[in-house]
Formats: sequence, structure tokens, C-alpha cells
Amino acid sequence: MFINTCFLYTSMSKVIGLSTKAIVAVVIVLVAIVGIAAWLVTQPTAQPTTTPSPTPAETPSPPAPSPTTPTPTATPQKIKIRVIGPWSGKEMEYFMQVLDEYKKAHPEIEFEYTPVRSEDLAKTLPLQFEAKTTPADVIITSFGWLVAEMAKKGHVEDLSGLINKNEYVGGILDSVTVDGKVYAAPFTMWLKPGFWYRKSFFEKHGLSEPKTWDEFKALLDKIKGIEGVKKPIVTGDGVGWPISDVTEHFIIAIGGPQLQLDLIDGKIKFTDPQVRNVFENYLAPLIKGGYFSEPIEWTTAVELWWKGEYALYFMGTWITGMVENPNDLAFFPLPGAKGVVGGTDYIFVPKYAGNKEAVLEFVKWLATEGQVVHASTPAGKIPTWVKADPGRLWGPMQGVYKKVTDLGLSIVPDLDDSVGGDWQPLFWDQLKLLWVSPDQLNNVLETLTKEHPKLKGS
Amino acid sequence: MALSRGLRPALFLSFPLSLIAVFVLYPMVATVFYSFYDKETGSFSLNNYIDVLLSAHPLYMLVAQSFGPTPPWGALIHNLVWVALHVPLVTLLGLVLAFLLKYYVKGSTLVKAILFLGIVIPPAVGGLIIRFMFDNVVGVAPTVFSYLGVEELSKTWTAYPQTALFALILGSVWIWSGFAVTIFSAALESIPKSHVEAAKVFGASMWHIFSRVIVPQLKPAVIIVVVMTVLWDMKIFDIVYASTGGGPGGSTNVLALVMYTYFARALDFYKSAAVAVLLTLIAAPFIALVVRWLRE
Repeated sequence: MFINTCFLYTSMSKVIGLSTKAIVAVVIVLVAIVGIAAWLVTQPTAQPTTTPSPTPAETPSPPAPSPTTPTPTATPQKIKIRVIGPWSGKEMEYFMQVLDEYKKAHPEIEFEYTPVRSEDLAKTLPLQFEAKTTPADVIITSFGWLVAEMAKKGHVEDLSGLINKNEYVGGILDSVTVDGKVYAAPFTMWLKPGFWYRKSFFEKHGLSEPKTWDEFKALLDKIKGIEGVKKPIVTGDGVGWPISDVTEHFIIAIGGPQLQLDLIDGKIKFTDPQVRNVFENYLAPLIKGGYFSEPIEWTTAVELWWKGEYALYFMGTWITGMVENPNDLAFFPLPGAKGVVGGTDYIFVPKYAGNKEAVLEFVKWLATEGQVVHASTPAGKIPTWVKADPGRLWGPMQGVYKKVTDLGLSIVPDLDDSVGGDWQPLFWDQLKLLWVSPDQLNNVLETLTKEHPKLKGS
Repeated sequence: MALSRGLRPALFLSFPLSLIAVFVLYPMVATVFYSFYDKETGSFSLNNYIDVLLSAHPLYMLVAQSFGPTPPWGALIHNLVWVALHVPLVTLLGLVLAFLLKYYVKGSTLVKAILFLGIVIPPAVGGLIIRFMFDNVVGVAPTVFSYLGVEELSKTWTAYPQTALFALILGSVWIWSGFAVTIFSAALESIPKSHVEAAKVFGASMWHIFSRVIVPQLKPAVIIVVVMTVLWDMKIFDIVYASTGGGPGGSTNVLALVMYTYFARALDFYKSAAVAVLLTLIAAPFIALVVRWLRE
């Protein structure tokens, strides 16, 4: 060891041409800097200090008015709340209306809203939380599994005392409840009720909503024959979710809502004959038969469908706020459907958020009155807060809600949002593959079974 | 007090050296260290390497267990396909364009500036542009093939496993060829005009001037372009992430994306480290080539 050190020293002296003193100095400085860096790394991260809200006791009393001097207006200290949500474009505009409404009653609050897709959050948030930092004080995402996963690691505030569980749609808090504690508050709800179409398009071509599978097939064939229509159904593409939505609708309509729940819980395999039946006898033949378009970026698909290049589009209720004339819009579920996928955006507060008092007050409002405001905009959502006044629901959504209720459709959780984790992007990716290579159905079903977190090793 | 002659350079060196020690050497050593750490048993073994090399999960697969005629073949193989196709295409295109722009195109500066745009834009944006370039609604490539009546290539290339990998490689040729043209253009400036003129006097064709006069004198530039392109291909990430995310069916996945997925999605830092070490080992011969060439 000593010989090696001497050899190293001699080599350094020769190579760099430094004196003994110089080398000793370099080594000392290096050791000092590395030591300081190591010490800094091993120190526990300080929790962010919260800016206390101004309390009446701390606010100095304004001076008595004098006839000669103008009264200075007391401006409350501004509190900034950073919010991350999944909405951009028009959807963001509707959410900003909600924030504006809150600011009317709380002029001291100022918001900094950043749109981040849930799928991107799932990739960045865990790392930021591991580093004990957060990109926002309030985060909104549809991925309940992500909230639960982060809560288990101690990164999320317990909101059990903030909201009353009984005031929300049943089961909506299940995915964000860990060991009996609720880690997120629900915001407004969307539904994925079926295939959307333009009433004017159907009237022009003498089309009507199908009541049986055969009628559905006949409708698709009739649409195929219309001049100018590229394909009967346009397939939305993003990171993959629009394709998973239409697939889940087939699972629920053909196999029943229980099949969807069993797939979520891992009680049934994708290779099971019941699931195979949905794919082999219903979905895959339509893909092979050229009834679906190839995947097209989902917002571009809205425009093409609205222009009449495609007749049907499977999408969530938020589509009502994305079209020129929502009154020309109607939908039908697949014949025989007994349920539709419904879900919410969860509001949660990271442990590392600042201004906790103001943040929690805002979250409580957002999960109650804020929902009423949001549902009254063209966001295409309905409240999950049962105390919300249904009369304030945005006009076109009242029709949608009525139809879902009249058809007696039960609300079923989203499959991939519920399973979550690594399996979610895999599900999206495999379905994208299925859409362009339906011959790979067996591989797709086997892969989905093999990698399902609750089926691994079975 | 005046500093001795030996102490002064040492003080100057100490700051950058310490930065390198903390931010380069330590992470490198730690990555290799972590790559052997088995989080299940707390011991050191080759398990992480075995797991990452044998994974059949489409989003983590490095080498496919069976090879079909089209992707997915596994991220490691895809990186090698990138090198095999992207490097010759960029080098040849860069050479030819630089030659034509120098000797046969007037106002070539403007063309060079346009070509250079590709490497100025962020790679993630480049990925999105590639996605649209090969989209059947707005994309250039499918539209051209549609006019030519080639049905197979009139689709959205990035949506099909048969074409997605090649769409990204071709799109990247567009992005990266600006770099090659810039390097070759600079190298061409060093070739005396008299060489080309003499060849013309002796009746040499354009092809002969290019292959016999120009190319042999551009060897150092070719080495730079080849090596830099290989390194670009080995660490390719943003373009794939932004355009296809590695899909469909894992057909465009690459090593850097697998490394990122282990790191950021699965929070499995040890397997991520193993992929990083593998990536470095594959790139190492090319780095050695550059170092050797720089010495020469």
C-alpha cells in the first residue's frame, strides 16, 4: 500500500511537475471539498418553512383617520399557491375560472398553475419526492394509484380530517385510501360513456343509434359506404389512453362491469376465455375489418371527426367542451352495456408543500364549492360532491348525465388508472400494438397477464 | 506572501479537479458500485446484469428472446441498428451535401444555415417533429408515398412496429446531418482549390473529383463525424421519448430509455446503474478511438 502511494506520488510529481508542497495542498483541498460534500449529502433535508398566514393579532391596526392625511389601504400579504393539474388549452381555461372564483373571496391568494400530464407526473414526481422537494403545493392527477404509492412512502399529507367521506360518490376515495387514511380529495368526475357523434351527421345520412350488436355492425357498414368518410370510427392516440378507453368499454359492454373489476383485482387473467371472447369475437374483428382508423393524435382526431372525415369517436365527457357546438353532440354506449368508466381527478398535498394552512383551506374549497364552479363551465364534468347543486351543471352535461342515468349504467373504475404502476404504460403500448397488428392478439393478452402486478407468478 | 511556482498551479487546479472529483468521478464510481449491489440480499453480485439482460418485459427488454423479421428486437439491438443505419447515412449525406454546396451551389451559406437548424432545435422538439413528419394526415413521408402508390408506406410510420424504428432513424438523419455538413464544410475549406481545378483540367468527372480528390483528404473529418454520430446513437433518448415513448410494443426502445424507465418509473436505481454501465461499455471502444485519434 505504502509502495503504491509512493509510486503514485512520484508519478504525479513527474507527470504534472509539481512540488511536494503543491501536491499536498491539492490533496488537502480535494479532501476538504469531498468531505464537505459528503457531510452536506448526509445531512437530513430541512423541511420547507411555511410562510405563516397573516393573523388578525399580527396585523397592525390602521392609524386613526385624519382629515388632512389620506388613509393608507392595508394590503394583506400575498400568499402564492403553486398548482399542478392535467389540463391545458381550453380545459385549462375552464379550470382557471375556478381559481379566479376562489381569488374573489381570497384576494391575498395568488396562483401559479402549471399543466403537467399525469403520465409525466408519474415519471418525475417519485424522484422529486425522494429528494424531499415538490414542484407544487397542490397537485391534481387522475392517477389514484400514484397518490396511494406516494402516500405509502410518506410523501403525502393525510386529508382524512379535511373532507367528509360521506359527502362523496361511493367508492371514489377507495384508490387513495391507505390504511384507512384518505390522502387525496376528489375533484369533478368525468365519464367515458360511449361513441360520440354529430346529430346533424346522423340526420343527414339517415343513421340512428344501434340497439343490438348486429345493428351496431350494420351502422358501421352503412357509415363505411358514405362518401368522404375515411373510416367509421376514429382512434384517438396520445400516450395510449384513448385506445385503452375504447377497449375497456368493450370489456364492460360485452363481459359486464364485473369483468372489468375482476381484471383490476387480478382475479381473472387476460387469457381467460371470457376476456378472449371480448377481444377475439368483437374488438379484433372490427380492427381487422378496417372499421377503426389507425391511431391519430387525439385532439387532431377531434377536428377530423367534427369535420366529418370520421363518424364516431369514443371519448370522455370532456369532449363536450372541445367542440364548436355541443348541442349538435350525442352519444350511445355499445349495445348491452351495463356500465361506463367514470373517474375523478384527485387533489393532494405533498408533505413538502409550503403555506400549508392556506393550501389546505383551498383544497377543502376545491373539493366542495370548487367542484360546483368547475361543473358549471364547459369542462364536461360532473361533481363528485353529492351536496353540489345539480341545477348549476353546465347545460349540455345535464343531457349527458340524464342519458347515463336513464340507461341505468353503473359507474366502473378505469382499468389502467386503477392497476397503475409499470403496467399502465405497458397496457397502453400493447393496445397500440394490437390496433396496428391485430394478429398479435395472443402475444398481447399473454404479456398483459404476465406483467399484471396482481397476477405475477400465478 | 508570494506563492511558490509549484503551489500556484496547484491552487488553480484544485478547484476544477475537486469539481470533477465530486461531480464526475464520484458518480461514475458509485454507478459501477451500485450496478453490482443486490437490493434483495444486500450483497454484491451479477444479478442486476442478469436481470436486465434477460428481462422479457417489452418496456425493459434489452435483447429479444426470439428475433422476427421486424422490431421489437430489444433496446440494445435497436441501438446497434441505429449505429448501423444512422452513421453511414449521416456521413454520406453530409459528405455529398458539403461537396455539392461548396463547389456547385451558389448562396450555399443560406442552405447550410437551414441544414444546421436540425441540431439547434432541442432533441425533444425534434422527436415531435419526426412524429408529425411521418404522420399519415400531415406528414411529408406518407404523403409522398401515397402519391407514389406505395400503400405500405402511406401509413403513420411511428404507429407500426415494422416502420417506427426506421422512421426515427430517418428523422434523426435530418436532425443530425446539419452537424456533418458543418464539419465537412469546414474541412473542405482546408483543401486547396487548385487540387480540384487541376483534376478538372485533366478531365476528371464530378464523381472522380469527389471520390479520388476530396474524400481522401477529409479522413480526419470523417472520423470526427463517425465517432460523434455513434455516440449520439448510443445515448439517443429525447427523440424516442418524445415521439414514440419506445413503442409500439417496445419496437423503438433504446438503452437510455430503459435506463431512465428503471430509474424514474421503477425507482430501481441498481438495475438502472447496470444498464448505464452496459451502455458505457458499448460506447467505450468509440471513445477510445477518439482519444487515440486525438493523440495522433
